[in-house]
Amino acid sequence: MTLSVNGELTTFETDRLTVEELLKEMNFGKGVAVALNETFVMKSKYNETNINEGDRVDVLSPVQGG
Amino acid sequence: MNNDQWHLEDKTFDSRLMIGSALYPSPKIMEESIRASGAGIVTVALRRQASGEGGENPFWELIKELNITILPNTAGCHTAKEAITTAMMAREVFETNWIKLEVIGNQYNLQPDPFALVEATKVLIDEGFRVLPYMTDDLVLAQRLADLGCTTLMPWGSPIGSGRGLMNPYNLKTIRKQFPNLNLIVDAGIGKPSDAIEAMELGFDGILLNSAVALAQEPVMMAEAFKYALKAGRLSYRAGRMQERDMASPSTPTVGTPFWHQFA
Repeated sequence: MTLSVNGELTTFETDRLTVEELLKEMNFGKGVAVALNETFVMKSKYNETNINEGDRVDVLSPVQGG
Repeated sequence: MNNDQWHLEDKTFDSRLMIGSALYPSPKIMEESIRASGAGIVTVALRRQASGEGGENPFWELIKELNITILPNTAGCHTAKEAITTAMMAREVFETNWIKLEVIGNQYNLQPDPFALVEATKVLIDEGFRVLPYMTDDLVLAQRLADLGCTTLMPWGSPIGSGRGLMNPYNLKTIRKQFPNLNLIVDAGIGKPSDAIEAMELGFDGILLNSAVALAQEPVMMAEAFKYALKAGRLSYRAGRMQERDMASPSTPTVGTPFWHQFA
């Protein structure tokens, strides 16, 4: 399936993926927060939140800000 | 004189300065500037992380070492929904319910959108956030936000990064007068320490700035200049300025003036 991950189209061989699996698969770092289709996903829900074809995933981490 | 601790939301601070972590020439200069400023609060943001980076985030590790209060922002959000989602993500990552709520309404001057700001504030307060709204210097907007339960308001001095100082001291003064019990912070537009002094002399409780230090020729030195400026401005406000007069009035006693005036 194909997803948009941080704005980039990304293809996976599987048809089903949880948020937890995606973070591991793509080797995101520690201390990130996730939104699925612009809605926040709590860390405690990563292993039960399924990502489907065409979904938009945003993985954010701390940066400089004013 | 030293008994002037700042009670902001659920915390207490010695310094009334809040400083940004962006735009410094290097991480080292950022760290030294923040320390030199004496600020008890640093602002941070969230952005997309490149995949494959694994491990710790060096910026975040550096900020944590400062051991000061973290204030995440929602910079770059243009709708209430974006700001709400970003705030929720920030609460989890930064482990704080404080949020500098920023919803941009115009790309040219990065003016906050008052309508979206009120909408997002309402939702976030219901969700248990302590909302510190970045707002225009509009009295009615201040009222709406206070009605929703904000105890801190952060009107702009002038547009973000412009360094133009206080564009409209009258508006800021009016908000101060109308809301004597709220924490009022000038956020954005401060260009130099005298701008910060002006805001503190208006009775503002604190200053949030970033570019004025980060883009100075010597950021660390400028950070220290702001530390003293906030103290000077605050003391000046508490001390109460003298009455302004149109005419001169001699400061040296006139009684006992010697011979050179006797034939005048």
